[in-house]
Amino acid sequence: MAVIQEVARTRGAAPERRKGDGRAAVLFLAPWFAGLILVTAFPLVASLYLSFTDYSLLEAPGWIGLENYTRMFDDPRFFQALKVTFTYVLVSVPLQLAAALALAMVLDKGLRGLAFYRSVYYLPSLLGGSVAIAILWRQVFGADGLLNQVLGFFGIEGVGWVSHPDYALGTLMVLNVWTFGAPMIIFLAGLRQIPAMYYEAASIDGAGRWRRFRSITLPLLTPIIFFNLVLQLIGAFQSFTQAFIVSGGTGGPVDSTLFYTLYLYEKGFGSYQMGYASAMAWFLLLVVAGMTAVNFLASKFWVFYDD
Amino acid sequence: MTDAPARTDPRPTPARPTLSEVAATYPERRPPRRRAWAAVRRVLRHVALIAFGLVMLYPLLWMLASSFKPTELIFREPGLIPTAWDFGNYTDGWNALLDPFSHYLLNSAIVVLGSVLGNLVSCSMAAYAFARLKFRGRNLWFAIMLMSIMLPIHVIIVPQYILFSSLSWINTFLPLIVPKLLATDAFFVFLMVQFFRGIPKDLDEAARLDGCGHVRIYLRIMLPLSLPALATTAIFTFIWTWNDFFSQLIFLTKPDMYTVPIALRTFVDATSNSSWGPLFAMSIVSLIPVFLVFLFGQKYLVKGIATTGIK
Amino acid sequence: MRVTATRATRRRGVALVALTAAGALALTACSGDSGALPSDGDGGGDGDVEIRFSWWGSDDRHQTTQQIIDLFEEKNPGITVVPDYTDWDGYWDKLATATAGGDTPDVITQEERYLSDYASRGVIGDLGELGVDTSEIADDILGTGEVDGTLVGIPTGVNAYAMVADPQIFADAGVEMPDDTTWTWDEYVDIAGKVAKGAGDGVWGAQDYGFNEAGLNVLARQQGETLYNADGTLGVSKETVAQFFQTSLDLMANGGQPDASRSVEYQNAGPEGSLLGTNAGAMGVWWSNQLGALSDASGHELELLRLPGESEFDRTGMYFKPAMYYSISAKTEHPQESAKLVDFLLNDPEVAKLQLTDRGLPANESVREGILPELTAADQKVADFMADLEPDIVDNPAVPPNGANEIQDIMIRINTEVLFERMTPDEAADAFLEDVGAAIGG
Repeated sequence: MAVIQEVARTRGAAPERRKGDGRAAVLFLAPWFAGLILVTAFPLVASLYLSFTDYSLLEAPGWIGLENYTRMFDDPRFFQALKVTFTYVLVSVPLQLAAALALAMVLDKGLRGLAFYRSVYYLPSLLGGSVAIAILWRQVFGADGLLNQVLGFFGIEGVGWVSHPDYALGTLMVLNVWTFGAPMIIFLAGLRQIPAMYYEAASIDGAGRWRRFRSITLPLLTPIIFFNLVLQLIGAFQSFTQAFIVSGGTGGPVDSTLFYTLYLYEKGFGSYQMGYASAMAWFLLLVVAGMTAVNFLASKFWVFYDD
Repeated sequence: MTDAPARTDPRPTPARPTLSEVAATYPERRPPRRRAWAAVRRVLRHVALIAFGLVMLYPLLWMLASSFKPTELIFREPGLIPTAWDFGNYTDGWNALLDPFSHYLLNSAIVVLGSVLGNLVSCSMAAYAFARLKFRGRNLWFAIMLMSIMLPIHVIIVPQYILFSSLSWINTFLPLIVPKLLATDAFFVFLMVQFFRGIPKDLDEAARLDGCGHVRIYLRIMLPLSLPALATTAIFTFIWTWNDFFSQLIFLTKPDMYTVPIALRTFVDATSNSSWGPLFAMSIVSLIPVFLVFLFGQKYLVKGIATTGIK
Repeated sequence: MRVTATRATRRRGVALVALTAAGALALTACSGDSGALPSDGDGGGDGDVEIRFSWWGSDDRHQTTQQIIDLFEEKNPGITVVPDYTDWDGYWDKLATATAGGDTPDVITQEERYLSDYASRGVIGDLGELGVDTSEIADDILGTGEVDGTLVGIPTGVNAYAMVADPQIFADAGVEMPDDTTWTWDEYVDIAGKVAKGAGDGVWGAQDYGFNEAGLNVLARQQGETLYNADGTLGVSKETVAQFFQTSLDLMANGGQPDASRSVEYQNAGPEGSLLGTNAGAMGVWWSNQLGALSDASGHELELLRLPGESEFDRTGMYFKPAMYYSISAKTEHPQESAKLVDFLLNDPEVAKLQLTDRGLPANESVREGILPELTAADQKVADFMADLEPDIVDNPAVPPNGANEIQDIMIRINTEVLFERMTPDEAADAFLEDVGAAIGG
């Protein structure tokens, strides 16, 4: 946490220190502070406390010190979960962001009916964690699903994309790219925020399409790219729903989609080891906070703020 | 075939072409020979967009088709065109639970509207403070805010339940709405911070010279100028709350209070008969409001600083 | 940071906290008062008692249970029953959270794999003293609701883990239906292979059975072992577990069951999307109460058979498994009213007529008799099958120990390893014994 604090300080540092706006800040942050105290703080602190106990949900917790934390490092499935999650995060977050940015550019302007395309492309993201979705995916990625029928048409024999241990995680990554709707919309909103005068000026200067993208769109969009990167990363480390639905909650086939949170959930609610699950959660928090801190540090070099 | 119509949106739009549209036409002023090629490229782009759209939509189309099939045929004949049509899934599904489905739609609507309003007001306020105000510990608070979304819901929910239970909030909508009124959705605070920081600072400097206080700068400059961010917040809060299953499952215990995601879950059960037909039908029904909100809401995504053409 | 600055910050911080706390209280007061939000209207008239009854299931069960509740309220004025239902997966998350928050429902539907977890931690109480009439329930069935000698759950009804077969696919394949009183596991593999060969492409003999531990339990019992001993330890030998997984491999080898990927997919698809449900296979092992769902989905008239091997070894292995249990919270404020509801659910003939076999074939024998004429064709078959099976059952297994609910995931994981041939049956047996041992020991 200290790291984040450190990083955040460097990031937010404003060159000129004027008289503080303390009083206005109290006013504007009042709801947030209330939320912090009333809603956020207690569960946060409670889960930290529980991570040092043998809490089963069904009985009062008993203090066991660091046992949960030391146990984690003897747990092969814990390492499997870490491996799966890191693979997923490192591959699917950049892919999804790239796809979302590309589509946002395509769908931004200059073509008839873009509003319609935008909505259509966003539809899959609307489905979210609907119970029906496991069935839908089987229709596409199953051994006899649409994808294999199409492949069969070209004489390629497919596999069970979500049921084979060697392919299930890869399929989930593709599915994640498939639901790029949210970052796409945020990119679109960001594109809309870029003052038109810049483009106007650039066009008068005779800048081409690519030049305009490189020297106007991209730099002005960096705060939004940064935002998407940070939050997609935080989100991806906690991704749960897709794997839960596809594997029927087991992280299968054979733990190939055992995401960190899925395992944590299994431990907390399936095995009634909420103490262990809390310890896992706080370990995750350290990892994610570290990654986020690095992100903020690096952002100094590529994120462009107007202020 | 001329180039002109493609530049004007067929739907009723603001009559005045926006600056960005004007800007976008500049590079298209090319010799006539290139125009034909441009038209071909446009058609190709449409074809690609439609093909890609179909891939994206296939699962949804399958669900739509299945919602018109008798339940027992859904898995036996999984093709897109039903061999037997059964509109009964919609009437059955609507009435299958203890209350008509409209009851659950209404409950969801209450939760969603409260959440959207809450997030719009509270997150934008917090974001203004983080983006524009100088105060001690700003970066520390910001870090704490981000930290609060790094713990998985599954370890948070039990302490939350205990907290809300001690306030007697269980089985009311309060645990779902009040946190949003208190800016606990760090995602949106951060989102708006990023957008606020993209607004040229000269604007509020100027306003300040005119004697505007922070409240007026926030109300008169930041909010109007960040309409895309507000629209994004509203749309996402709507969609995510509408689809949120876990916290609604845990905090709402009486069937009267159930929302759409919980109601949908009661159609299927791993251990007994599942009503897939009605499930798909009601899934389609519950997608309609979200889709409409999105269609409607995205209009506001286009009305940013670019269209108002300030400065 | 300098010390003075820290102090200043801290002082201001305290002021901030105080201020926001006041604001927060004001806010909650506001929202608490607002009449716009529906609130839980407990109270009502004087002397009214409200009890909460929780169960899992899908829409049909919710409808009939609500009718049953209405009936109960009509006959017991002054008692209001608040339903609390969801699907199977959500049910256990919700129940555990409510228990953690001290809001356990008064009457709780339980299942054998969770019963011990809840009983041993004192969440569900002793039913023996509450005066619920259990005289019509056979002793060995009632005994499946005892943990450490205390009656913590009363069985609602019973199911048997049995082979479901599709005679039409047998006929299409030109294979005769087996005699289920004599067939062995080898014959089962053989028959499945023949059906697959005879029925042509896309139709298999049997769906893989290795994802459910109940099949293993039957095989173990046939050989004089049992999955769990009464003292809560594992009672199955490595050889038996290996033999259990070997059958799946044999079936894949002779084409009797689909390849590994498809088996995994069918296992995730429930009765409606199963081999039998989609007319893509002739046999599958299911709980007897699922015959109705399977028959509806397949559109064929399906039959129930005993599992293979019932006369192959020392004894029979099949058993009656309580479909679910009614339990009462140990902390309920209204034990008498809760007991009244449980009694009503178990013994009232009108209740039985409403729910028929939805919670298993009723454990209450006189009630069971009463509903026989009302049953659907499929349920009629289930009742006949169970009546026929009953005399051959040696005993019923003890309640699974703490941590037994984890066995579902362990079975699925290890069986998948076997199907994809990433583990030999021997290795799988070792892994199984180790993982389950850890789960129930911990």
